Amino acid sequence: MNMTGGWTEPEFEAIFREYYPRMAAVTRRVLRCDSEAEEVCAEVFLRLYRSGPGVAAGGLVGGWLYRTATRASIDAIRANRRRGLEEPFEDVNFVPGEDRGDGPLSRLLRGERIARVRAVLARLKTEKAQILLLRYSGLSYREIAEAMQIRANSVGAMLARAEAEFSMRYERQEGRGRKTPQLRPAKEGQ
Amino acid sequence: MKHRELKDGILRAYLDGELGAEQASSVEQHLEVCSVCREQAGVLAAKAACAHEALDGLPQSSQADGAANGWAAFLKKREDTIEDDWIRWTPWKVLSLAGGGAAITALIVVLTVAPVRGWAESLLAVFRVQHFTVLELNPSDLKAGLQNDQFVNQEIGRVLSDEVVETQQPQKLQPVADAAAATRLAGFPVRLLAGETPDSLLLETGAAMQMKLNRGRLQSILDEAGRSDLQLPASVDGATLGVRIPAGILAFYGNCGNAPARLLGGASAQSAQPDDTCVTLKELPSPIVSAPQAIDPGQIAQIALQFLGMSANDAANFTQTVDWTSTLVLPVVRGKSSYEQVYVNGNEGALIRPVSALQSKHFTLMWVDNGIVYGLDGTGDDVTAVNLGSQVE
Repeated sequence: MNMTGGWTEPEFEAIFREYYPRMAAVTRRVLRCDSEAEEVCAEVFLRLYRSGPGVAAGGLVGGWLYRTATRASIDAIRANRRRGLEEPFEDVNFVPGEDRGDGPLSRLLRGERIARVRAVLARLKTEKAQILLLRYSGLSYREIAEAMQIRANSVGAMLARAEAEFSMRYERQEGRGRKTPQLRPAKEGQ
Repeated sequence: MKHRELKDGILRAYLDGELGAEQASSVEQHLEVCSVCREQAGVLAAKAACAHEALDGLPQSSQADGAANGWAAFLKKREDTIEDDWIRWTPWKVLSLAGGGAAITALIVVLTVAPVRGWAESLLAVFRVQHFTVLELNPSDLKAGLQNDQFVNQEIGRVLSDEVVETQQPQKLQPVADAAAATRLAGFPVRLLAGETPDSLLLETGAAMQMKLNRGRLQSILDEAGRSDLQLPASVDGATLGVRIPAGILAFYGNCGNAPARLLGGASAQSAQPDDTCVTLKELPSPIVSAPQAIDPGQIAQIALQFLGMSANDAANFTQTVDWTSTLVLPVVRGKSSYEQVYVNGNEGALIRPVSALQSKHFTLMWVDNGIVYGLDGTGDDVTAVNLGSQVE
């Protein structure tokens, strides 16, 4: 019996090192902290390891990994929401390139915005949330098609539908989000 | 390009620069003359910009050397899993050959095997494994959320760890010289492959545990899994389940890499791997589960099966076909594993294989003979598997 399920250690490690950074980037976007993203990625790679190379027939191992990782991440945010674990106050230290000198109010607002984006993603159909995550993590249409097992010329239509629903729901959420903390501005002439 | 040919999908791909040069030029020419499509392109671009801006604001990993940390986390997880799957021969694992998460399966195993006969005081029902039956599950029926929901799995794990009290702790595995010594130490007649001397023979001591069921917590797991429609009966609450796992034996034949050494805690997971000559034989007397007779196993089984994704009707029908007095249900996911009913020395057994082409030569054969549960892992065709099983004497 081959305990590795067909992978050699160097072969598997090479795949891991090739795909992990991007998978971690995709999963980290939706999960609450690095360790949660790391856990989901480790789980996905373990599934690949146990399934053996056959799971990625035709050299589409990246597609399989992205598909499984995005699905697992979306499941995780849904589970977090069910358990009341969404965190409105995202630690801005995790965000490179941001002005860390900003004050508590900016951090609060940014944290709320992140929570709103995740809340909208959690409400979308899995395929729609997946395609958005993949696209805005920098995958090309060809890579998205491989990951989602669809034809490359269907990606545009699917992405457009996902963006339409996302922006509709997000703007609705933004509207609600803005109304809560702010005073209603005085009407003209008042 | 004609107006009616310019669908949203093409426009969206055009905006992303994902069209071929010829098609992009054709779209461009059309947009120059068609205000409707220009407007639509504007709408799509605005929605894309909204999504882009929102998703761009999501955090990114802060770890400078994420791959190294990730690899370390993966190795740790793999080692734990290998230990779970291979090394620790807990009854949960033995009984969950083809099932989903270990914890879910543990729960199902506890809850789906039915009482056989009254305990001496007629207070308890006893579960013993005397037969196997295989339940083939359609993967499309399995709830994706349930399969992937590690948090539900973790919650089940937490409930089990919070509520389970080990009344007899398992000891570290120990090497045993031969079948006679194994028989003496394990307390049952150990049978090995005739004419073969195992390369390693290990004894795992017995264990016993009790679990007090908390209906509220168990129900919350169902609720969190999105199955509030499944309601556990009140009889479950406060019921104490007792599980006794007798001592067992593991015999390794052929090149099993460093698996036996790892079991004994003496080697790393990355060194020698087993090859196709490796055969492992595991055996132990049937674990025994006891529970108050107030618990209706058929009712619990139906809930467990629905939790696995069966419809209420299918679950009810299947429940009626099973002799719940002594049957262990092995869930097999269609498309992932194949199974066949076989006979080993006249005893019914289940031969299970992964469907994956690369692993399909690997088999797991389980059968019960005279109250002893046997599990044989190896590589080869069905005849080889059954012949090997028949050599256990």
